[in-house]
This record gives sequence, C-alpha cells and structure tokens, in this order.
Amino acid sequence: MDFSLNGDDSKALVRFDPRTKLFIFLACGVTSLYTYSGLYILLFAGAVCGVLALSGKPWTALKGFLLFAVALYIKEAVDHAGSSASVVVLIVSVLTTIVLYSLPTILSILLIVQTTRISQFLSALTAMHLPIKAVIPIAMLFRFIPTVQDEWNGIRKAMAFRGISLSFGSVLRHPGKTIEYVLVPLLFSTIGVMEELAAAALARGMDIDVKRSSFEEVRLHAADYIVMLLFAGLSTTIVVLVTTKGAAGL
Amino acid sequence: MIEFKNVSFHYGGDNGTGEGVDNLDLTVRSGEVVVLCGASGCGKTTVTRLINGLAPHFFPGELEGEVWVDELCVSTAPLSETSRLVGSVFQNPKSQFFNVDSTGELVFGCENQGMAREEMRRRLDKTVEDMRLSALLGRNIFELSGGEKQQIACGSVYTAQPAVYVLDEPSSNLDKKAITRLHETIRRIKEAGKTIVVSEHRLYYLMDLADRFLYLDDGRIARSFTPDELRKLTDDELAALGLRCTDLHTVTRSPLIGEIPHGGKPAVETVDLSCNRGNHQILDIDRMSFPEHSIIAMIGDNGCGKSTLTESLCGVIPSSGSVAFNGTYLSDKERARRSYLVMQDVNRQLFSDSVIEEVMLNAPVSREEAERVLDSLGLKEQAQRHPASLSGGQKQRVAIASALCAGKEILFYDEPTSGLDRGGMERFGALLRQMQDKVTSVIITHDPELILQCCTHILHVENGRILGFYPLNDEGVQRMRWYFLSESGESTSKRREKLGMFGKVLQYAGQFKKFTYWAVAFMIVGALCSAVPYLGVYSLIDRLLKGGGVSLSAALPAILGVLIFGILYAVTYTVGLQLSHRAAYHTLENLRVSLQEKLERQPLGNVQELGTGAVKKLFTDDIESIELMLAHVIPEGIANLTVPAVILLVLVAVDWQMALLTVIMLLFGFAASRQMYAVGMDRMGSYFAASKRLNNTIIEFVSGMEVVRVFNREGESGRRFEEAVNGYRDFALAWYKVCWPWMALYGSLFSNVVLYSLPFGALMVVLGYLPLSRYALALCLSFAVGPMLLRTLSLIGAIPQVNFKIQALEKALDRPPLKCGAAAFEGTDHSVRFEQVRFAYKSDEVLKGVSFTAEEGQMTALVGESGSGKSTIARLLSHYYDVSAGEITIGGQSLRQMSLDALNREVAYVSQELFLFNKSILENIRVGKPDATDEEVKEAARKAQCEDFIMQLPQGYDTPAGLAGSKLSGGQRQRIAFARVLLKDAPIIVLDEATAFIDPENEQKMNAAIAGIIRNKTVLVIAHKLSSIVSADKIIVLREGKIAAQGRHGELLESSEDYRRLWTASEESRGWLLKGGESA
Repeated sequence: MDFSLNGDDSKALVRFDPRTKLFIFLACGVTSLYTYSGLYILLFAGAVCGVLALSGKPWTALKGFLLFAVALYIKEAVDHAGSSASVVVLIVSVLTTIVLYSLPTILSILLIVQTTRISQFLSALTAMHLPIKAVIPIAMLFRFIPTVQDEWNGIRKAMAFRGISLSFGSVLRHPGKTIEYVLVPLLFSTIGVMEELAAAALARGMDIDVKRSSFEEVRLHAADYIVMLLFAGLSTTIVVLVTTKGAAGL
Repeated sequence: MIEFKNVSFHYGGDNGTGEGVDNLDLTVRSGEVVVLCGASGCGKTTVTRLINGLAPHFFPGELEGEVWVDELCVSTAPLSETSRLVGSVFQNPKSQFFNVDSTGELVFGCENQGMAREEMRRRLDKTVEDMRLSALLGRNIFELSGGEKQQIACGSVYTAQPAVYVLDEPSSNLDKKAITRLHETIRRIKEAGKTIVVSEHRLYYLMDLADRFLYLDDGRIARSFTPDELRKLTDDELAALGLRCTDLHTVTRSPLIGEIPHGGKPAVETVDLSCNRGNHQILDIDRMSFPEHSIIAMIGDNGCGKSTLTESLCGVIPSSGSVAFNGTYLSDKERARRSYLVMQDVNRQLFSDSVIEEVMLNAPVSREEAERVLDSLGLKEQAQRHPASLSGGQKQRVAIASALCAGKEILFYDEPTSGLDRGGMERFGALLRQMQDKVTSVIITHDPELILQCCTHILHVENGRILGFYPLNDEGVQRMRWYFLSESGESTSKRREKLGMFGKVLQYAGQFKKFTYWAVAFMIVGALCSAVPYLGVYSLIDRLLKGGGVSLSAALPAILGVLIFGILYAVTYTVGLQLSHRAAYHTLENLRVSLQEKLERQPLGNVQELGTGAVKKLFTDDIESIELMLAHVIPEGIANLTVPAVILLVLVAVDWQMALLTVIMLLFGFAASRQMYAVGMDRMGSYFAASKRLNNTIIEFVSGMEVVRVFNREGESGRRFEEAVNGYRDFALAWYKVCWPWMALYGSLFSNVVLYSLPFGALMVVLGYLPLSRYALALCLSFAVGPMLLRTLSLIGAIPQVNFKIQALEKALDRPPLKCGAAAFEGTDHSVRFEQVRFAYKSDEVLKGVSFTAEEGQMTALVGESGSGKSTIARLLSHYYDVSAGEITIGGQSLRQMSLDALNREVAYVSQELFLFNKSILENIRVGKPDATDEEVKEAARKAQCEDFIMQLPQGYDTPAGLAGSKLSGGQRQRIAFARVLLKDAPIIVLDEATAFIDPENEQKMNAAIAGIIRNKTVLVIAHKLSSIVSADKIIVLREGKIAAQGRHGELLESSEDYRRLWTASEESRGWLLKGGESA
C-alpha cells in the first residue's frame, strides 16, 4: 500500500479540507464500535467510499466498497442459514466482522494519507489552533513512515548479503535474534535521518513564534460542511439505533 | 556580512566529543563567496553550524566569543530569528526536506515565517524561473534524484530570500550532472548579490565562483587563498594540505595502479541480463564480463540503472538471464552468498554489538583470522567497540572486513567516497589495490579522482545498457575525463509512471478504447446468458425432485428459455468479440505507426544494433501479441471473471458452505496461477533473448546464403543456425519446466470445481443439513461457472508473455532519439566545422577529438587507413549519429539545432553502397529531388555520364531497377548515385570512397561527372586513391581517430610521415593495376 504521503489530489473532483477528513476518520472510529449489520452501515461505508472517490481515488473506493458489500452479504447469508457446524460459522462470522469493523476506518486513513499533502495537513492543524509544539510531532510522524519504508528496503538487502534469513522458519526459531538484526540497523539509520531532518527543519524556522501561514488554501467550503453534517447524522443515527433497540433493531 | 569575533566552540552535551574550533576571527563581506576547505574533522562543518546557529542551539557545546550576521548575534538569538537571515543547505539530500511534495517544500520556509499567500506565490514564481525548476514542481520528492533533491533544497532556501547562504558539503552525494546544476544554482545566487559560505571537499567546481578559500586545520583558519593562488599549487602541495584537485583536466592516473588485468577467466560474466521493476524493464544487457582481479568503476548519470545492475548481479533483486562468478553460473541466492555490497548508507548493514562480533557473524572464520583481517584494515584497536560509535570511514571498513571474513569473491561499493576528503579517498583507493589479488571490486562512483587512484576498468552505463567497457589506459583516462567534463544534457528525470500492463495497452488504444469497453459490456451480458440455461435445467430437475412428472408442455418454457438464452449468448459474445477485435487492430495500427516514427528518429547505429531480425520481431510478433491482450484477455477475462464472481455470490445465498468450499478451491487455483506468473516473468528474459537471437540468425542465414554457398561455408553457417535453434529450444523448455507444474495445478483446480462440491454437498444432503433441491441448484451453478473459468484459464498462461513483450517493446524504443532541432538552415555560409568531435561506438572510441574546417567552394579530402574514422566523419556530418562530445557546425549553425529536413537539403552524401529502390531507373534518380520533372532527371543523368549505359538497358529509363541492377557495374551504379546528387543540388557534398569502384576506362567520365557536381560547393572527399585528390585544397590525414596532419599534397609529402606512407601504398597499387592491365 502506498503511504508515501505525496497527497495527489490532481484528479480530485472536490478537494476536501484535511479537517473534514479527520472528522470522517473520527466518525468511522466511533461507528465501527457499533457495527453489527444492516443497511445503515452499508450506507455509512458507501459515504466514506463516496468521499474517497470524489477526492480522486475512485478505484480504491470501488474496491473498498465491493469488499465491504460482499462481506456484509456473506455475513447476512451465513446468519440466515443458521444451521451446520458451529466452528465454521464462527470462523466465517469473525472474518466478516473484522472486515466490517475495520474497513471504514482503514479507508478513512487512506483518505487522509493518500490525498493530503503534509503542508495542507500542517495548515489544517494550525487552523484548528493546535500549538505548534503539538503540530510538529504529528507532522514528523507522517514524515517518518516513508523514511522507515526506505530504510527497511535497504536493510532487507543488507541482510541477504550477511546470510540473515527472514523466512518464516528462521524467524520462528530465533525470534530474539531476528528482532535484533532488524531493529539495530533500522534504529540507527532512522535516528540519523530524523536528527538531520530536525536540524534542517529548525534551521528553516519551523519553530518561529509567528503564526504559520499556508501556501495552499485550506478552508472549509460548503461541501465540507455538508459532508461533516452527513457523517455526523449517520453516526448518530447508527449509535442511537444500536443503543436503544440493540443490534436486532437494524 | 558575517563576523566571527574570537570564536571558540567545542561540542559538549551527551554525545559531545570535545572537537571544535578555536579562536576564529573572520569577516565575510556581503556578496562574497567563501569556500571552507580542509581535511575531514578540521572544523569546516562547525563553522557553518556557527553561522546558521545550529551550534550551539541544536548541537550543544561550549561557546566563547560571538558570531554576528548583519545586525543579529546568532550565537545568542534563538534559531527562529537566525532562520530569517541565514538559509542552509545540507550534505545529505534525503534528510533535509520536510514535505513530500516539491512545491510544498519550496515554500516551507516562507510558511514558517507567516508570509502572505500572494507574496509566497510571487516568490515561488521567481524561484522557479531563476532556478529553472518548473519541471520539478508538484513532484514526489522521494522519486527525485539526489541532484534534483539538492536543487529543491537550494530553491527552497532561495524562496525565503535570506541574506546569507550556508552550504555544508552540498556536492558529496551528487553526480556530475547534478554538480553542474549546483554550480549553476550557486552562480545565480551569487549574481543576486547574496553572501555564500560553502564547506566543501570537491573544489574544482567552485574555482570560478569563489572569492576566497579558507583552509582550516585542526579548528583554526590556517591559510587563506585566492582562487588563483590555489590554482597555482601543485598536486603535491595540495596533497600535503589534504585538498582535492582544483581542476579535473590535470588529474592523472596514479602510478600505483598495477598492470591492467586482461584475459584469464572472467570474475563476473553475464548473458542476456534484464531486470524488471514494477511494469518497466530497467536493464537490457546482452553480454558483459569483468576480468579477474580487476577494479571496475561503474559510471553513468543518476538513474541510469547502476544500482539495479549491481543488485541484479548480487542476486538481491530478481532478474532474468545468466550470471556467472569465476566461471560458474549461479542462482540468485548463491550470488548473494558470494558477493557483497558496501552500501552508501553503511549504518544499514551493521547488525551486532561489537566490531569483532560483526565481522564473525555467519562467517566461517576463527577469532584469530577475524582479528588478522581487522588488523589489515587498521581496525585492531576498535575490535571491542560498538559499530555505531565509529566514524563513517571506520564503519565502511568494518563492512569490508565482514565481507572478507565471509569469503566473498566480488565486492561492490555504492559511492564509497562521497563526502570523503583527499586523505580518506586515497586511503580507500590504497585499500582496494591492497585487496586486488583476493577479490574483484566494482565501484559505483561519481568521483573521477578515486577512479584515477585505483581503477583498472571503466564500465559506462546509460539507460540500462552498457555504453562502453574499457581499460583505464591512457586513452581510457582521456575518455573517462571527457565524460566528467562534458556538458550534461537533459536536466530532469522523468516522472515515474505507475501504469500497469492493462493501462499501458489501453493508452495505445487511444480513441478506440470505447470499443473495448463496449466489448466488455457485451461479453458480460453474453456470459450471463450462458449461465441462464443451467437455471432452466435446474427448474426441470427441481420439478422432478418434488415428485411431479415432467410433461412436454410444462417443460416447454424452460426448454425455450434454454434455447433463447443460448442464442442470445452466441449473438452478444460474437458482437463483443467483433468490437474487441476492431479496437485491437486499430490499436495495432496506431502502435506500428508510432513505432515507425520513433524508429525514424533513432540514430542509425541504434537501428543497426537492434538487428533486422529484432526489428521485424518488434513490428510483427511483439505488436501482434497485443492483439491477444486487447481482443481477448481484457474483455473476455473481465467478463469471465465477473460473472463467475456474481454466480458465486448467488451460491452463497443458496448454500454458503458449498460456496465457501468452491471459493477455497478457486483461491488455491488463483494462488497457483499467480505463482506461475511470478516464476514465468522471472525466466521470461532468457527465453525472450533466445527467441530474439533465433530471429536474427534466421534472417542472417537467409540473406547470407549467397556468400555461404560461394565460399562453401554451409557447415559453419548451419552450425550457428543450429545453435540458435537449440538455444531457443532449451530456454523455451526451461521456461515451460518452471511453469508447467503450476499450470497443471491451476488447470485441475479450475476445471473441476464440481469435483469438490459434489461429494461434500451429497454428505450434507445425507446428514440433512441441505435440502436436495438446493443441492441441485448449487451443482447447476457450479456447472455454469466451469466453462467460463476454463476460458479464463486459457488466457492466464499468455499474460506473462504479453506483459514481457510490452515491456521489451517500450525498452527497445526508449533509446534517446537523435538530437535535432526544428530550425531551418540559418548558417552564414556553407563551410563545415568540426570542433573537438569525439564519437564512440559501444566500447570503441572512433574519433578522439577531431577539429577541422572545410571551406566553402573548396575540396577537402580525408585520407587514412581503413578504420581511421574517415567514413564516421561523413556519417556524423549527415547526422546519422549524434556526436559523443564536441560540435559540428555548418556556417556557424550547430547540426543539432537543424531539423533533419533542413540538414538534408544542405548535405548530399554519396555512400559506398548505392541502394536501388524497386522502381524504374528514372524514379530511382528522381529520389534526389521528388518534384523534378522527367526532363530534369534525364538532364542530371546526362551530366553524370549515365545516359549511354541507361539507353543500352532493355527499356531505357523505364527499366525496373531489379532487372537493371544486376547488369550495372560498380562505376555505373556510382554514377547513378551522382545523378541523384546532381539533381538534389545540395551546397555540401560528401563523397565517400567515391573512386573506389572505378575501372580505368570509366575514370575520365567519372572525373567529368565529379567536376560537374562539385563546382562551387563545399566538398568532402573520402578517398583511397590519393591520385584523385592531389589537387584538393586541403588534405586531412587521419590516424586512429585523430588528425595526424593537414595541408596540401606537396606540403604533406614533405612534412607528414603518415601521408608519405599512404601515398606510396596508393601509387604502388596503381602501378600494380596498370601492369595487370598491360599484361592482359
């Protein structure tokens, strides 16, 4: 999966504010706790995929939605059949529930990571009046992901030369050693990179006390409010329905 | 202005080493460019950190004295204040950008300062224009090359418009192209009147920019040089100071390099190496071999495939083709075991807590041996230390030690001397020489100084191909040097495409894409229709199961339904296939046309190198394979996968357990086909190369048949043919051998879906879990799925082949086209000038710095032994190839600016071979000027003394060339060529071996024809018979690609030994001819 954070929104039909995306992420988090079954949750997943598609990732959105729909369908089919070996039923329902449970959240993370640039994200966080001391670590965290990916690629090759195997068997036989061989070089090289990065960022005035401005316009538009309202409404409905009537009510 | 007032600084804090600088007093005026130089650890970087405030605010330590930048005391002011005044660029391009997109990074500094958006936009535009960054806007920085990252880093500082720029070893990770760009960037900043402080090891590129060089030694400013003073220092004086060279022109090969090894068994040998990443073929290497005990420098621009080549050779990334180490062909894993790559970021490859453990990790050596190896690398003292606590150079040596202990045979190094001072670089070179008799070393490097320290061979890589492999003798040094000194071409890397195989094919389809989409739609409908009849069957079975008999009238609707849907299926599927074929063949047309256009723009050498067989294969076989893709794999594949998926979902509703069982079986099938795809792709390169070779051999076999029969060489030619056929057979068999187990597996899994659900369902029915009628329905659905999956199955096997062919197609055409502009001819006259022209064809350099002028209205003759480069000069002037270096101008205008059309109007080239098109003689002459009237053509023929022999042909001017061709003598053919040239009437004439064919009786006519052509023109003659050029205005004598002498006949006879020899040889052969004539 591509976590490169080079938020490519060139194909987006609507450019949503990072805050809206964060809100969707939040809504997904809340709603997933109440995911049992039913049309509402399909509607909810559909809405997440819709926003993803509008932000320029129609294929990811379509794949996500199909996966979700199929999982829901299978779950319904299994629930209705009701007969036969309980172990298999258990396995199948656990698997489908995991998909239903986590998929909207994963999609909302993809929405943030794949369609937002770090600079937009910084601007949005500043606009939320978060102190710069809190913003920098979050931004650094995002910047850290591609760095680790990059380092890991190199280390894997280095291990091949030293005859350190990463196969399932050898990991199982020497878990401690393997972790050491992975972590030691990974830590040393990423620490090096991140320290240089911090120096570079500071030398360029990252912690100036002036309010940061933003080159890219980050503002809440009508579309953002509509989407936020939609998600607020959907989440509340699901939460209220589930808590008052129980899962069966849906 | 920067002022140091008696500044001392020593690193302290947790990781402090106590190193630092002492008692610095320094003033840098505004607008001045100051370079800090000196050995590693002399305090250069500390000085830069004191200016940008990172010391003491980020790197803690003890500071005495004050550093002032303009009105700000940066030693006490917070970093945020300093950042407004001082902009910094650091050594490592990968760790100095904060954003991932380049535009965001460029304005990052401005955003931090809270600048208004309009102002940022204005500054961004200015930066982009001043620094020529438009190609880099909106890019993912992780995709940029190191040089481009450094450009972005400079640009982002420039956008913030600080008064002072501090650059800390900005060139250490850059290639030659990027250094040129960095030089340009610094020049622009200097022109903008900014103050610049650069700390740097490489000095040569700063010589024309710097105002002052400050030499630091042990934390103090020991000396100060002006550029002129520095330039005057001899190499020994520079070495004593630990400084690198000031001019690449003067670096020479170290006398310490031993004899260049050649012959013997090769340490590394590859055949047909290719490597794919994502959906792109990166490498395309026919043959390559490194001699044993050699030290090879791998050079080439960033992104040309050096790392991919190295990693393929080491076996850490999958590649196809065969690689042998020391004479044995080895698998990927074995190669990884027997080779080692010292990475640029050596931190990644140190795994243990102490140096001694590190070198003994997975190595078959005793402790004593390991200690001995450490000792030989000067690491004895450090044996017990943690690798992370060592310096960069020591870490590198630990990595080398671990490779030696593990008994590796081939060592690769990725830019080992980036950021090393002269001492470090020389020590590294000495180390390589010292290990030379134990291991073969291959160094990826951009450092000519290192190459001249220790290397024995140069491997020049360009665009995934070998541009040249040559020993580093005196000529090799010349050639390598001009690579590093030559102007670099295109400045930006390509955007990385992320198109998959289908995307690429559809891209070629263009407007016919919609046909494909419609085809998909029709086929899906068709596939659905094909499934419906099974439901009809089910309804009949169901009725039977329920105990009711089935009468004909009751069954009629079902039977009719089966019939109707059967017909519908046939109709829609046919329509779909029709549409998809229409799309496919139109796409093939587009593709062939674009391929032809690309081929036309290629230098002739590239086309010849491809080989007729390969070109034919590209145009027919490879492109044809796309038909399979567009007409079948895409539409049928999609339809035959979606419909089964839908049916399976229905099956879930019928009985999910049976569906689950089917799905599991299908998943196994898909896993097997995926595996087949993976292994098939890996081996495809060798298979493909063998088929390319077979094609070329067949064509050569047929076209050379005449010669073969005349000289009775059937045996030899037949053997080559047989070898190619056998090779193809072996590779094809090898490919099928790895693929067939998987093919068999997925074949049986897909085709027998029912086999698993039948007994299981029966069991469930018996146990009472499943009603019988549902069981029947499930079986009917399974039966419906079967044929579709089988159809898909037949397509899967073709996918890896098609994918590989598409990639090979793209790779074959990604060679750089001829560099030609769109300008018309604008030269002032028609004199031809060669300036320091160099031209290399593969590993041989044919022209080595040739300069001369051929004046308008004069005859310039080129003489020399065969292979001296005469014909190459003619071909270069006709722009069949691009020069490797230097410039060719006509009337002051460069050849590269002119369009090929414009050039063609100015230059007429009579080559050694006359090609007659399969048309009449008249038309063949008309080629010279397509709009000429018949009369003009005949006039030209008359002037070229062709008329008499043409009229003797059976149909005169209308004789087909094929018929006439065999009757024409060499001289006559040449005169037809002259007629063409006469008709064309170009102001520059190049006659290649013009008099080679002439028999004595024709000579006079010939000379008359030539005299007619060359009147008042610029003429270049390439002659063997020196008698014909005695009267030339200028004679140029070539020897081994260089000009040995030039002048008139008389002068040269006196002054040039070479010319005298050529003259005598030519006169002797003339005498011999005359004598022969007399005796006959």
